[in-house]
Amino acid sequence: MKPKQLLEITLGVFTSIGGFLEVGSMMTAAQAGADFGYQLLWAILLGTICLASLIEMSGRFAAVSGHTIADALRERFGLHFFIVPLVAMGVVSILLLAAELGGMCAALQIATAVAIRWWAMPAALLTWLLLWRGTFGMIEKGVSMLGLVTVVFGVAAILLAPDLSGVASGLVPSLPHEKAAHYWFLAVSILGAAIAPAVFYFYSSGGVEEKWDESHVATNRIVAWGGITFGGILSGAVLIVAVLTLQARGITIDHFDQAALMLLDPLHRIGFWGFVASLFIASFSAALEVALAIAYLIAQGLGWNWGEDLKPRDDARFSVSYTVAIFVGAILLVVGLDPLKLTLFTMALTSATLPIAVVPFLVLMNDDAYLGRYTNGYLSNAVVLFTVLVACVLAVVSIPLELAGG
Amino acid sequence: MPICLIRDVLDNKLVDSDGQNAGRVDGIVLELTEGGPPRVLCVEVSPITLGRRLNRRLGDWMARLDRRFGPERGVPYRIPITRVTGMGVDLRLDFRAEPTPIFAAERWLRERLSRIPGA
Repeated sequence: MKPKQLLEITLGVFTSIGGFLEVGSMMTAAQAGADFGYQLLWAILLGTICLASLIEMSGRFAAVSGHTIADALRERFGLHFFIVPLVAMGVVSILLLAAELGGMCAALQIATAVAIRWWAMPAALLTWLLLWRGTFGMIEKGVSMLGLVTVVFGVAAILLAPDLSGVASGLVPSLPHEKAAHYWFLAVSILGAAIAPAVFYFYSSGGVEEKWDESHVATNRIVAWGGITFGGILSGAVLIVAVLTLQARGITIDHFDQAALMLLDPLHRIGFWGFVASLFIASFSAALEVALAIAYLIAQGLGWNWGEDLKPRDDARFSVSYTVAIFVGAILLVVGLDPLKLTLFTMALTSATLPIAVVPFLVLMNDDAYLGRYTNGYLSNAVVLFTVLVACVLAVVSIPLELAGG
Repeated sequence: MPICLIRDVLDNKLVDSDGQNAGRVDGIVLELTEGGPPRVLCVEVSPITLGRRLNRRLGDWMARLDRRFGPERGVPYRIPITRVTGMGVDLRLDFRAEPTPIFAAERWLRERLSRIPGA
């Protein structure tokens, strides 16, 4: 491993900020803390391990084979199979993109008191403009730097001095004492927020954009686990802060504004603006990632030219794909979908569709035509398969219950 | 080395002589010969073929759409198998795909995009 490769950690941090600590993880973690104390921390831990495993695999796949996951899905499984994850992930990713744009708008609404739907188009335009004019490296490094503002949650969690035995007991899964349906719905939402397929599909494209080769396999492991652990710890910090500031006062989260109060106690004005900035930047980077992920999936599946470093005129179909995706997402907000409900629902829906995106990927990760001697070990196969199946079953059971109850 | 048409050719990516992605093998055309084994004639790269594999009507609709692009359009674009050189995970073409119908939609969009600043 060359020292210079360690700079690739920015891809890990970018992926983590946008892919892990985004509006979904922030709001599901905050809600879990406000409603159930530390009890749901295990879901964040499980989500972190599963996502880090998937991200590591995805990067290894790109580095060794030079192919992205979407490339291989179409080649190996054929058109009829490819169309299933394409449609399922396409629909979920558009909703996710709308949710992330909603997170940006919510931050702007808290800052300016101008309603969310008015911010939808400006937020979409900003996202589009950066993709249109920027390069992959510029976006990745910019977002990683700005994303460090989310460390504010970690600082707040330390300042609030949580009861460590409570935190530790939350890391072990336990049955809820009350509101069982809501508990499991939040658990799957947390898992869905962590393990978004758009993110690890995105990451393999990122590896190819960065021209990784076999010498990057070791770096990739550090980048994936380092970056995602960073996101997981901050996500856990959000939950811990929510327990100590929101739950302690009996505040539940029905609006983004209520969540914005969570950092007021430990950090006062800095905390308030820290929350607003974190929500904006995390959602922004996620919107960039998801928009790119959608365009990558289509372009690679159909064999088009693609690449964020190319000028839009050199990959016109690719550029038009993300443009359309962004504005469809924004329209969902303009017509008045509630961003917080949309976020929670999308996260649960992601969990329900996880096997469609993950199982074929696991098959590819065990294919030596692509990976040679770098195929998966039994342990990583088992951990990911187990988590994904659990998340899916829980989602299928709890989504109807939540819709009926709430 | 034996080549499995479905596994190694169908749906695999084509890369042209400039290194540009030139679509995927959407279909394979075989020729049946009297008394001899079938021969691979060409591969098809076309949304029409792609559509037909999923649903006949979708394919016909693609063909009607494609016909608008010129007098010779409306049928799938075919590449003789002799122009396909390398066979790895990706297949190599020995010509530039840019002027061919593979890039028709790309060219059409590019013309319209070039009016937007920054493109």
